[in-house]
Amino acid sequence: MIVSMTGIVKRYARHTALDHLTMEVRKGEVLGLLGPNGAGKTTAIRVLTGLTAADAGKTALFGQEMRARAAEIKRRIGVVPQDLALYETLPARENLWYFGKLYGMGGAQLKSRTDEVLEVLGLTEVAKKPPKKFSGGMKRRLNIGCAVMHRPELLILDEPTVGIDPQSRSHILDFVTEMNAQGTTVLYTSHYMEEVERICSRVLIVDAGRVIADGSVAELTRTVLFEETVVIEVKNPAPSLPDSIKNIQGVLRCDTDGHILTVTSTAGSANLARMLECAAPFVILGVTGKRPTLEDAFLALTGKKLRDGGEGE
Amino acid sequence: MRGFFATFRMGFKYLWRSPVSAAILIGFPIVMILILGTALSSYISGETDLEPAKVAVAADPQGELAAFLRSGEIARFFTYTFTDINEARRLVEAGEVTAAVIEDASGTEVFCEAGEGFDASLALAVVDSYQEIGSAAAAAAAQGRDVYGILGQEIAVRDVPLGMRVPSATDYYAVTMLVMILMMCGTNGIEMFGKGLLSDTGSRSLLTPVSKAAHVGGLLAASTVTSFLQGMVTFVFTAAVYGVYWGQRVPLVLLALFAVVLLSQSICIMLVLLFKRPDAASGLAQGLFYVLTLVSKGYSKINFGAADAVFQYAPNAMAHTVIFGAIYGGNEAKMALYLGLLFAASAVFFAIAFILGRRRLA
Ligand SMILES: Nc1ncnc2c1ncn2[C@@H]1O[C@H](COP(=O)(O)OP(=O)(O)OP(=O)(O)O)[C@@H](O)[C@H]1O
Ligand SMILES: [Mg+2]
Repeated sequence: MIVSMTGIVKRYARHTALDHLTMEVRKGEVLGLLGPNGAGKTTAIRVLTGLTAADAGKTALFGQEMRARAAEIKRRIGVVPQDLALYETLPARENLWYFGKLYGMGGAQLKSRTDEVLEVLGLTEVAKKPPKKFSGGMKRRLNIGCAVMHRPELLILDEPTVGIDPQSRSHILDFVTEMNAQGTTVLYTSHYMEEVERICSRVLIVDAGRVIADGSVAELTRTVLFEETVVIEVKNPAPSLPDSIKNIQGVLRCDTDGHILTVTSTAGSANLARMLECAAPFVILGVTGKRPTLEDAFLALTGKKLRDGGEGE
Repeated sequence: MRGFFATFRMGFKYLWRSPVSAAILIGFPIVMILILGTALSSYISGETDLEPAKVAVAADPQGELAAFLRSGEIARFFTYTFTDINEARRLVEAGEVTAAVIEDASGTEVFCEAGEGFDASLALAVVDSYQEIGSAAAAAAAQGRDVYGILGQEIAVRDVPLGMRVPSATDYYAVTMLVMILMMCGTNGIEMFGKGLLSDTGSRSLLTPVSKAAHVGGLLAASTVTSFLQGMVTFVFTAAVYGVYWGQRVPLVLLALFAVVLLSQSICIMLVLLFKRPDAASGLAQGLFYVLTLVSKGYSKINFGAADAVFQYAPNAMAHTVIFGAIYGGNEAKMALYLGLLFAASAVFFAIAFILGRRRLA
């Protein structure tokens, strides 16, 4: 177990940011921490990394308490903060150099690693420029670079793609996937559903300071939602077809609109084959699965949309 | 240790690149000195830097003080009217003379009206230095004689190293300015600690295995060294361009300047940890340093009456005394005391900052 947090409580004056939060990060996984604004994601990371003290609960990193072996543990972690944390007037290279140095690197190793990180993050061209002259995406990438100089075993990213262009985002997601492939365990915080679906092997849904769901994207959407929908397009269906489909186990409804049948079943019924059997006598023009998304799962779990309007940055 | 040096190097570069501190650093002193220095040198023409000022002297015209005031180069700064105490005061009040040197049973005293303007401040500056540090003695010493100087309230015979010279207006001005600039450089500390400790970037450093002590030490070293070097820019500049005389005991002058740097750093870092807002701390610190400069006289001479007894312990004032003393010769015991007080005050403010820091970062 890389991280284990048990019963963490963190209160602010008027607000409980973490309400008995319990979570684990397993070796080798990309764990997504998904939650709306104010869910407590950043607070959880601050408690985990020791920047904020919890009011109650236990935290262990690599099986040890942070307090006891702080320096040793910190060396094994890389943290990408949600807010850009760079020296904006110092060149990109200087920022990487500095954080590499703070993590105990030096000499030729530090130099070659700096070049390497600049390269993989696509910043080689601008290595000598200060980040204040960078685009948002470039700043975000450098913000990540500073956390990975020392090749951490655990990489924690707190909404690393907020407010950037799709290319930079894609670049960052590929980078995280690549780091994971090389053995880095990743804790990835986001409120972008697509990102989590794309890179995370497991997802925790956090709301109001507690974990309300835990599983792979597929598991979550399956277990969380009660219904799934298949749209079947049939050429000249017989009027009896909807009725025979309704008789299939698990089917809740079958709505017809001309030659389009929208079949709603209980989630996990695995009855597509039976539906197609019924429709087989006719010419099937197309079958589309409307798979439930994490977004739907979130909505079902919390009654809230993940992204409240206007949340751009 | 590695963390300390890395942070020091980073902080040093950061401060030199920061537009704000670059402005304070180089622009501020040079512009100030250019403008005021030029105004000064055009105002003061001829051989002497100072216009002869009219001074009333209430002392025995045949006495030691009178002989002293007439001696050597001192005489060229003043035109004297010998008279009695009451008349001397009246002349000052009537504005007929810019200052009165009064000798009575309790000692020697310089008397002038507040705010008589540029002339008077020049004259007072010389009279004052004369009283404090025996610059007049220095002038006479230039003639190769053992001479008298007035120390504090008493007239004493003292040796002054040869090669000394009488301070010019620019010399006074440079000392005052340099001390003020170094005080202002305390805002480097605010910028450094604001960014490197209190901001998101600072928090990030605390996530690394480097100890807080090494990190904070690196930040402090960076802002201190930067401030000191900034002061050196002015120091060298004034010497090279305006021919400001920094004396024969440059290490002592530098030590005093370093004490000023340390003190302003300690005050500023304490303020930024107290308010947690660099802009607020910076504004407050700058205001404070202007006030301290004002009450510390040096070049500008505003009379604060009874409060002056307290203001001589204003940090700038103590620094002026030590520096003038180092350049022109002064009371060594007093200089040592003032230096000690400056360092002690820094230690106190650093201790407060340390306690605040522990609490704020907990
Ligand atoms: N220093 C603080 N003082 C008071 N309240 C705080 C503080 N930090 C966080 N909070 C509150 O705690 C709650 C959780 O905040 P947190 O930043 O952890 O949320 P988040 O999930 O990271 O949100 P986002 O997606 O916007 O980053 C919020 O309601 C926030 O207002
Ligand atoms: Mg957050």
